[in-house]
Amino acid sequence: MTVPSTYTEQTLTSWLVDRVAEYLRRPPTEIDPAVPLAEYGLDSVAALSLCGDVEDAFEVLIEPTAAWDYPTIRSLAGHLLGRLEART
Amino acid sequence: MTADTRVRDLIRWFGDPADPANPVGRAALLAADEQGEPSAAGEWLLDEYGFGAEFVPVELGGRFTQLDDLVRVAREVFRRDVGLGLGYGITSFMASVNVWAAGTPQQRKQLAGLLLDGGKVSVGYHELAHGNDFLRNEFTADRTPGGYRLNGTKEVVNNADRAGAWVLFARTDPAPGARSHSVLLTGPEDCADGAVTFLPRYPTTGVRGCRLTGLDFRDCEIPAGALVGTEGQGAELALRSFQVTRSALPGMAVGTLDTCLRTVLGFALGRRLYRRRVLDLPHAASVLTGAFADLLLCDSLALAAARAVHLLPGQSSVTGAAVKYLVPKLLTRTANDLSVILGARFYVREGEHALFGKHLRDLPVLSLGHAGPTACLATLIPQLPRLARNPGPPAPDALFTPGGPLTPGIPYDHLTVTADGDALTGVLEESSAPNDPYVQTLLGQLSRELNVVRKALLALPPAERTPLAGPASFRLADRYVHFMAAAAALGVWRAAADDFLADPAWLATALHRTATRLSLRPAPPPAEHTARLHAELLRRHDENRSFDLYDLCLNG
Repeated sequence: MTVPSTYTEQTLTSWLVDRVAEYLRRPPTEIDPAVPLAEYGLDSVAALSLCGDVEDAFEVLIEPTAAWDYPTIRSLAGHLLGRLEART
Repeated sequence: MTADTRVRDLIRWFGDPADPANPVGRAALLAADEQGEPSAAGEWLLDEYGFGAEFVPVELGGRFTQLDDLVRVAREVFRRDVGLGLGYGITSFMASVNVWAAGTPQQRKQLAGLLLDGGKVSVGYHELAHGNDFLRNEFTADRTPGGYRLNGTKEVVNNADRAGAWVLFARTDPAPGARSHSVLLTGPEDCADGAVTFLPRYPTTGVRGCRLTGLDFRDCEIPAGALVGTEGQGAELALRSFQVTRSALPGMAVGTLDTCLRTVLGFALGRRLYRRRVLDLPHAASVLTGAFADLLLCDSLALAAARAVHLLPGQSSVTGAAVKYLVPKLLTRTANDLSVILGARFYVREGEHALFGKHLRDLPVLSLGHAGPTACLATLIPQLPRLARNPGPPAPDALFTPGGPLTPGIPYDHLTVTADGDALTGVLEESSAPNDPYVQTLLGQLSRELNVVRKALLALPPAERTPLAGPASFRLADRYVHFMAAAAALGVWRAAADDFLADPAWLATALHRTATRLSLRPAPPPAEHTARLHAELLRRHDENRSFDLYDLCLNG
């Protein structure tokens, strides 16, 4: 999965939707960024793994529990954007 | 008081296991187990010894400084009776780490006082309906003006009916997810009459002396001061605390396998079949030396995991899950292998070999309790692809030094929910045994296979990295843990100053057994290695010394 070249809440949301869809084995079109990941059945441990993926893909440090504290894709994308902007 | 002194004290206090008049000897402990009661004399002994102080950090008046020392001390209890070890105190230890990790000074002081006075603490995480999927728990703590109102049931809780305090995991928010649970420290004194009832005891196949009961709360009001850490921190706190207990518990049970091996070896020395001692039958001899090598392998991984909590706390989520997965499983399997030598005797519930049968019944509880093997692998699977890509630097020798000094106290703040590396498997890749062609060849085989497993882990799609992963992911994680165990044995050998541990004889057999479990079809170890291992096994038996890494005199 390629990382978006420009970071906006939109591009990050779209990347996360694709990634979460892979975890859940569902088409990305079925993933609503405003719905908590736990409601899709994304287990708390998988949520930790998702944060690891984000770290590796974007080469940015985020808390492994970020997806616990930012429980929707939209809020997680906002948090990630903040971390990426703080980096530059 | 050093760990050596404490261990020797306990050995002296427990006395001769074979003495029929010893109230904590073999016969007495078996009799208590037959009656399904905790051994009164055993509990009295541990009360007098002040076993509860072993769990309390030194700064709070206890004796706890480092985890590998606690493992050694508790091993003396597990050597004699798993039920006594678990029932008397290990669940208190499991409960208390949550409070040492995140409790207020007041909570820490209160709990330390209770344990130093010989009191017990129960730990209530699981509900039977949800197993290790404990975020689905239905036990609730609702906010009230004065604190919390508890409703629900905690099942299969050790000592629930006689503990002075309970550490409970409760839902404090109806929302799904990992921020909806909290840890509470409360106890019978907080609860109004009738608000909490004890469930009847659960009869069990093994550890029959453990008082496994449960707690049923109905609108039980408890004060706000019961909260440990912050609201919603429960899952994270549990994941961090469990790393400590998972890293320690399996090593304690190495003492149980020691007794099994001692019992069977004694039998094999004394009994004659086909005009020779059972010991001289090639099959029996190979089972016995194999069991000795497995015991040392298990102790190596247990040592590395316990010391990792201090030296590599950022990796304890992986080392803790690995040791909790593999060591109870290997101990149980090895005890089963040994049972073949005893033949029908191990099935008899009285006489000098009955303790073996009891240990065989008790050992599986160490796999089942706290975190089952599947739950341990489920902790590892999501992390392994990252570790395969970037394992980080290999572990230092200090990780593998039995009794080596450490900075006292557990660095709870450095325990993380996901691992930042895997220093263990790196040891397998960087070490060599230039003076031992057999070990050198095995290391090459293991390293190559480790790379195969790493490649397969890197190829796992995201859906295969969740608890819903298919059997292939679980198989990879199982293989990975075997490499960690082999690496720990290699590390112990590499760091050893002791003549026997620095000799490749035991390592050759331990690695051979690992490679065989990985279906790598290794060549058998050279005869001189097997002979050396066999001689050491007999020496330790004759001199009544422990079969673990410590080669400890067991005469009381």
